[in-house]
Amino acid sequence: MKNAILKKEKLDDFIKIMSKDEKVIAPVLKGNQSYTFTEVKSADEISLKYLPTILPPKKYFMPQHETLIEYDKRNGQKVHCVVEVEDLVIFGVHTCDLAGIQCLNMIFADRPKDMNYLIRKNRITLIGLECNSYCDEFASCALMGNHIPKGGYDLLFTDLGNYFFVEINTRKGEELIEKTNLFENADSNHQEELNKLRKLKESIFKPEVDIDKNEIPSLFKKKFESKIWEDIGERCLSCGNCTNVCPTCYCFDVLDIPDLNLKTGKRVRVWDSCQNEPFAKISGGESFREKRGDRKRHRFNRKFRYPVERYGKFFCTGCGRCSRTCMAKIDLKETIRDLIKEGN
Amino acid sequence: MKKPKVAFFDFACCEGCQLQVANLGEDLLDILDTIDVVEFREVMTEKWDQGYDVAVIEGSITNEHAIEKIKRIRERSKILIAYGSCATIGGVNGMKNDFELNEIEAHVYQENAKHFKTVPTMAVSQVVKVDYFVNGCPIYPPEFITVLKCALAGLPYHVPDNVVCVECKINENICMYDKGVTCLGPVTKAGCNSWCINNGNVCYGCRGMVSNPNENSAKDVLSKYNISLDLIKNKMNMYNKCRELNKNEKDKS
Ligand code: SF4
Ligand code: SF4
Ligand code: SF4
Ligand code: SF4
Ligand code: SF4
Repeated sequence: MKNAILKKEKLDDFIKIMSKDEKVIAPVLKGNQSYTFTEVKSADEISLKYLPTILPPKKYFMPQHETLIEYDKRNGQKVHCVVEVEDLVIFGVHTCDLAGIQCLNMIFADRPKDMNYLIRKNRITLIGLECNSYCDEFASCALMGNHIPKGGYDLLFTDLGNYFFVEINTRKGEELIEKTNLFENADSNHQEELNKLRKLKESIFKPEVDIDKNEIPSLFKKKFESKIWEDIGERCLSCGNCTNVCPTCYCFDVLDIPDLNLKTGKRVRVWDSCQNEPFAKISGGESFREKRGDRKRHRFNRKFRYPVERYGKFFCTGCGRCSRTCMAKIDLKETIRDLIKEGN
Repeated sequence: MKKPKVAFFDFACCEGCQLQVANLGEDLLDILDTIDVVEFREVMTEKWDQGYDVAVIEGSITNEHAIEKIKRIRERSKILIAYGSCATIGGVNGMKNDFELNEIEAHVYQENAKHFKTVPTMAVSQVVKVDYFVNGCPIYPPEFITVLKCALAGLPYHVPDNVVCVECKINENICMYDKGVTCLGPVTKAGCNSWCINNGNVCYGCRGMVSNPNENSAKDVLSKYNISLDLIKNKMNMYNKCRELNKNEKDKS
């Protein structure tokens, strides 16, 4: 597949043509330097330069509330499976968030396969947008290697001044280019400019924490009993913000909601979080992770150790959302630095 | 099937939660298809003199007369639901407990004070057994309907013991702290779907604190916003004063 370019003045046409056939989602300023992925109809609504959105695009892959089945007990036990799905194009996804979606894909394709997720995912077209420089000081995408594109998109846009360089990664992406008919072929000059940017990025993006990435899992293993977890636990409010905003957190709860007639109703799936007080509580009131410090340690290990052991993959993309959102100022990079500093 | 008999009662409160029920609109019609309301002062004058399948209680318990009345209602009711902050956690009426009772009596009733003996404000569950709680000032109507359904179906309802932030983030609001405003979401029980923040307001903590709030850390967070410790304490106490009665119980035992 050949690469393409899109002149910036044609972006608006691109968005408008796509939005005729399906919903187009893109980063939009909500206020106070906070952005959200929201439906757009034209390019002027989009923030091309944006801080990672409050919630990552995972909300389209596994919605906050999702109906799984509808039931009817009026005449026997009738159950009807539901997949709430629609065709979407998500435009402007940063490379860290693309990495997050790749993590979710892995989890939900693992056995038992999650059909609701997998069906929905196939209906979403992803258009990435590379970052030319850091979003802010909370990012650790270079440590995790996600400041550069590593697949997981149909098209990838790179801002090269008055045009976007567009890497075509899938057949679906190619069809979109053919359909909209706004793109030109990329020539060697364009390719050269892209290479120059990538070179420049090497000098801007440096691992944000001084550690060999491969050493991180063993650091967390070694530091399982560290007092640092207790200290963090004392500050943590168990507000669950860090997990709700994380592009790779996928824990959920399943509830039955009866209608007023008490005979019909639906089963829904809602987001849950290991940071919430009741999450690890079992009947009788016992909790596996009663202390906040235990829950914090669990979250970090769920990013930097357990998934590496199970899937060979880090489940932190380096997007910085958890540190950005924490009122108690519990900072991911600082925590790793503290663990390193503590020594043996 | 006979419709369950449901009665609404109020104690010390502003009757705002009754108003929320009366204003349910279309949902109210569906509810009225399912239940038989036998007492409801806000909308009807009839009285019922037999047992209730469900008694719905608003308001906190603030004097001996109320204690006797709520005990009698409990005896006559199969299921008892406390709704609104006043009934579930004592709510703003709890502020009375900051003062000496005789001072309060004298201040409110002046020369007639001796005829109006008062007791420390209590939540309903501090006097009789409560089967279901609908927290909030006022109640969040969808939660009231959920609880009513649980009560009618004989299913348990657990008031969420997560903090309001959980729902607030799921609703993708801009955090009040990012706007430079303080918010009690991080210590307050969820279940209202972060109602106030969705509408541009802060959380006042009307649903009461979660079972294990990190008050020290919350105070730390709040204190960075240049507000005095006293104000922080007042903010936290506004709805939560009555929980001290339970703490004192625990201290005694
Ligand atoms: S965002 Fe901060 S305070 Fe809230 S649960 Fe996470 S670490 Fe704790
Ligand atoms: S752990 Fe924090 S930095 Fe890492 S992916 Fe999750 S939110 Fe982003
Ligand atoms: S964390 Fe890195 S990849 Fe993600 S938005 Fe910030 S700079 Fe871009
Ligand atoms: S606005 Fe309030 S409830 Fe929402 S996340 Fe911030 S502190 Fe929590
Ligand atoms: S947001 Fe806070 S004040 Fe508002 S209803 Fe919920 S608990 Fe009450």
